[in-house]
Amino acid sequence: MYISLNWIKDFVPLKKGIDPRTLGELITVHTAEVEGYTDLADRFKHIVVGKIESIASHPNADKLTVTQTKVGSKTHQIVCGADNIYEGMYAPVALPGAQVKWHGEGDLVELKPAKLRGVKSEGMLCAGEEIGLENKEDRIYDLKGLDVKPGMPLADVFKKNDIVFEIDNKSLTHRPDLWGHYGMAREIAAITDNTLNKLKPDVHIPTKGESPAIEVKDYTLCPRYCGLIINNITVEESPQWLQDRLLAVGYRPISNIVDITNYVMAELGQPLHAFDKNFIKEGIVVRRAKKKEKITTLDGQKRELDDTMLVIADHKKPVAIAGVMGGENSEINDETTSIIIESANFNPESIRTTSTKLGLRTEAVQRFEKSLDPILAETALQRTAELILQVCPDANIAGPMTDKKKLSLEEIIIPLNTEKVSSKIGAPITQKECIDILTSLEFTVKKVSDKRLEVKVPSFRATKDIDIEDDLVEEIVRIYGYDKVKATLPDLPITPPMANVERSRKHYARSLLSYGFGLSEIYTYSFYGKQELDNCLMNDDHHLQLENYLSHDQTHLRTTLVPNLLKNIAENLRFYPSVRVYEVGRTYKENGNYFPNEEKWIAGAVALSPDDEKKAFLEIKSIATTFMERFSRYPVTVKKTKTVPPYAHPSRIGGLFVHGKELGRIFEVHPQVLAHWNIEGPVAFFELNFTQLAGIEEPLLQYEPLPKFPGLEIDVSVVIDAKKTVADVAKEIQKADKKLIKTISLFDIYEGEHIEKGKKALAYRILLQADDRTLTDEEMASIQQKIFKNLKGIGGVIRGA
Amino acid sequence: MKEQLLALQKACLDAIKKADSSNALQEIEVKYLGRKGELTAILRGVKDLPDAQKPIVGKLSNEVKTVLEEALENKSKELEKEELNKQLQDDTFDITIPGPDRSLGHVHPLSQVQHQVEKIFNSMGFMIMDGPEVESEYYNFEGLNIPAWHPARDMQDTFFIKGKHDKKHGRMVLRTHTSPVQVRTMEKYGAPLRVIVPGRTFRYEATDASHDTTFYQVEGFMIDKNISIAHLKGVLAQFLSSLFGKEVTVRIRPGYFPFVEPGLEVDFSCLICGGKGCRVCKYTGWVEFMGAGMIHENVLKAGGIDPKKWQGWAFGFGLTRLVMMRHGIDDIRLLLGGDLRFINQF
Repeated sequence: MYISLNWIKDFVPLKKGIDPRTLGELITVHTAEVEGYTDLADRFKHIVVGKIESIASHPNADKLTVTQTKVGSKTHQIVCGADNIYEGMYAPVALPGAQVKWHGEGDLVELKPAKLRGVKSEGMLCAGEEIGLENKEDRIYDLKGLDVKPGMPLADVFKKNDIVFEIDNKSLTHRPDLWGHYGMAREIAAITDNTLNKLKPDVHIPTKGESPAIEVKDYTLCPRYCGLIINNITVEESPQWLQDRLLAVGYRPISNIVDITNYVMAELGQPLHAFDKNFIKEGIVVRRAKKKEKITTLDGQKRELDDTMLVIADHKKPVAIAGVMGGENSEINDETTSIIIESANFNPESIRTTSTKLGLRTEAVQRFEKSLDPILAETALQRTAELILQVCPDANIAGPMTDKKKLSLEEIIIPLNTEKVSSKIGAPITQKECIDILTSLEFTVKKVSDKRLEVKVPSFRATKDIDIEDDLVEEIVRIYGYDKVKATLPDLPITPPMANVERSRKHYARSLLSYGFGLSEIYTYSFYGKQELDNCLMNDDHHLQLENYLSHDQTHLRTTLVPNLLKNIAENLRFYPSVRVYEVGRTYKENGNYFPNEEKWIAGAVALSPDDEKKAFLEIKSIATTFMERFSRYPVTVKKTKTVPPYAHPSRIGGLFVHGKELGRIFEVHPQVLAHWNIEGPVAFFELNFTQLAGIEEPLLQYEPLPKFPGLEIDVSVVIDAKKTVADVAKEIQKADKKLIKTISLFDIYEGEHIEKGKKALAYRILLQADDRTLTDEEMASIQQKIFKNLKGIGGVIRGA
Repeated sequence: MKEQLLALQKACLDAIKKADSSNALQEIEVKYLGRKGELTAILRGVKDLPDAQKPIVGKLSNEVKTVLEEALENKSKELEKEELNKQLQDDTFDITIPGPDRSLGHVHPLSQVQHQVEKIFNSMGFMIMDGPEVESEYYNFEGLNIPAWHPARDMQDTFFIKGKHDKKHGRMVLRTHTSPVQVRTMEKYGAPLRVIVPGRTFRYEATDASHDTTFYQVEGFMIDKNISIAHLKGVLAQFLSSLFGKEVTVRIRPGYFPFVEPGLEVDFSCLICGGKGCRVCKYTGWVEFMGAGMIHENVLKAGGIDPKKWQGWAFGFGLTRLVMMRHGIDDIRLLLGGDLRFINQF
């Protein structure tokens, strides 16, 4: 919203020459955010009145003339291409440095001295549109008849000496009273310690005569409707001062009557509407629209209504969508001589709903939806009548105002504890300061005791805005000044806060995965779509779906982190030969209850180039198990699992177990899924339920004494059926001596031409060690023989033995 | 004889001193101390001397021998050292050859900054809370004093979940802010409270360089007997100064959020220009940072806390925005885009 400083000055005796930046900041820190301000005179910098002294033909161009134009004490040579100039003419001259728009089109450019077809030109004679004046003709603006002198700044000629502030509408959401200059002036008076000049419309409304016939059928949606007939008006262009004001705050002047209704809205915040009385059959009816009833609004759009919407109608047809926009069928036109002015109060929620349904947001909607003061309707009508009579001297008011209303105008009185005010603000604000501030904002304050007040809320603040004590605290502190509230730290006990173990461990998990295992953390969206589900061979079971979504890859809430990670890997493989990433995020699963299961998971992946076929699984296995063991401090086992998600390779998958509990899985991605994502190399994942993993209480580690006696190492190489697993073989070895065999490490696997088909050779290094003695050669030989025997027992052939 | 020996010693020492290589030194050794060397010759001649002179010359000769041997030894070490030095100096090892790959992974910048924020508030006694991302209309709106007619309730801002409805909770939404955790925490723990809630939030909003459907917020609130706006100013100044590692001042001005009263906007002094005004702060000296205010009595009531006994403030700021501001990131979509060319910079 735009606020004109000149307009404000109608109501507040501000000091002359108040710095607009300072005033803007005051408004920002006390009332509402000022986004910026414009000095209207800036647009006219270096543009002055010139008097054309002589005109000569241009030596090199027959369409151009060379003028000598007096601008103040100097005379400039200016080349001109227009044909309406004459000697002795007063016209706007843009001097070098001025901002002009060539032929009224395109961007503003800075004017520079130039040579036109070889003749020097020190400025430009301007058409109105070239310098932002309302003058549509492409001819030099003739200043004839105006009180001008050569060299006079054009800003002074056209009174473009206003400052216009732009206020952030969002910061006025709860302040219907600030949607006009008068309300803003009240604030500015309070924050600059001035007295507001109260607005009292000076108009005589006759007690007898013709009043508009008005029938309100739905007082819930229209608590008040005031109407007044004015006859004998002449519709014409508004006087310049009125146009200037409207232009300054962003309204396009249309005609005097429409301009005045806009003027009063910009001044008081009350939207008004003027109907041509001739088009209103029998009288005004305020009613709900009929289903599918149609109206063409002032913007030329035909709109279909429904029965929740309120219309203003006559006895035949709707003439306006109440509080939203007027209809074409009753619009003021050049022949209009009698008008009915509407000044009403509508239900804010209804206005908002109607506006949303129709996709039509207007200045009126913006105000009505904030809950306007119903008393304002009458004041605004009087002010409108006053201005119409001032602008159309022949006009007359036909008779008394019709005022239909059903209002519950209960006064809001709030008890205020001024000690509480200080406590909540954290500054020593006296009761007197509270009283002074509230009074300056037109609250009525009654002192009850040294710490108690009774505060009556003025009507313009009483519509949803202020109804509790804290609302008054806000009024007091913002006028008192937030800058005067000193930053202090609360005096509270130093007990440590309750720990959020899962949170802190999440950061630990990230450090391990990123800085220990070299994976990079990425964040992906919480949703995916049909395509991602299909690609992963998933269906939409257990998925929550969005009612409203923005794109087709954001329709379902994820039940696993895998699809989005895969999509991401496919994208990153364009730039990197291998990708190692993980994500810590939530999954959301429908469970039949209202709230879904929200779980925290960690998923990580290794994607390698095609020639590293088996390496991906093994790498992810060592990452996942080492990570989990370090994280939980318990051993992790990889075992067959029954939970095989559709995107996993059905035989290259293992469950991750701690204490016999399955916390997640490692797997290679199903080859078909990889094909769907156009990924050529192997991708292996781990998926871990982080909530469960983080829930394992870390054991307090106990020191184990260092070995006192040396150990012995023996190597065993066995050829065995390829179906036997490495784990099976190790188990047989261990059986030979559960106590003395300390470690069994596989150091070679061989399958190929040098051994029988269907067999593989495994080589182990085995450490034997006793806690209480040095082992003898006999003990070693005996264990070795047992190992050989056990391996033979499962069909193994010992090599080199 | 004595003179001859001393002259020989001097000549030999001079030669050693002048020697500039091991070879030269070798020759000197041969010349004087070798089997046919000059000193050896003298020593051999001792037996032919008169008896009276034998012990004297013999002793002197041995002394000379020791002196010369020592001198040769020292010079030899010296020359060896020089030669090693020269050899090392002439080495052509190329230190610009890259080392073997030991690159680490990267932690997402949002995680890094979130961790930092959590640590600062934790150290000031705030506990860190979590809440559901799929939330009910009740907790996301009504409980926060945002009635049905409020603009924030429009379809244009909120993602709704299909087919979910509950009498108390209303429809189901993706939380549009971290504020629902306020009421949830109050219900669970009661007063007093010192809490922050960092988390993922969602808006149904067309995506561009500064808008995304998904972003991160940090909610903070404090409830006790006498908690005031002055404390909000104090705590936030502490937090921001810790976060940015320099003194930061906080400006408060009026703002409107339905769940607080008074409602506040909080700005901090521009870190680039220190408040003098620059392009970053749009020449105001202040950077808009968060919404805040004293918790509305209706919100306290919704959380089961008696507003007559307890009071407090709440604030919320965009963690995503903070990360973008800190690292000069000009496109919000990079944060959830997962492009490693971006992530690997952190």
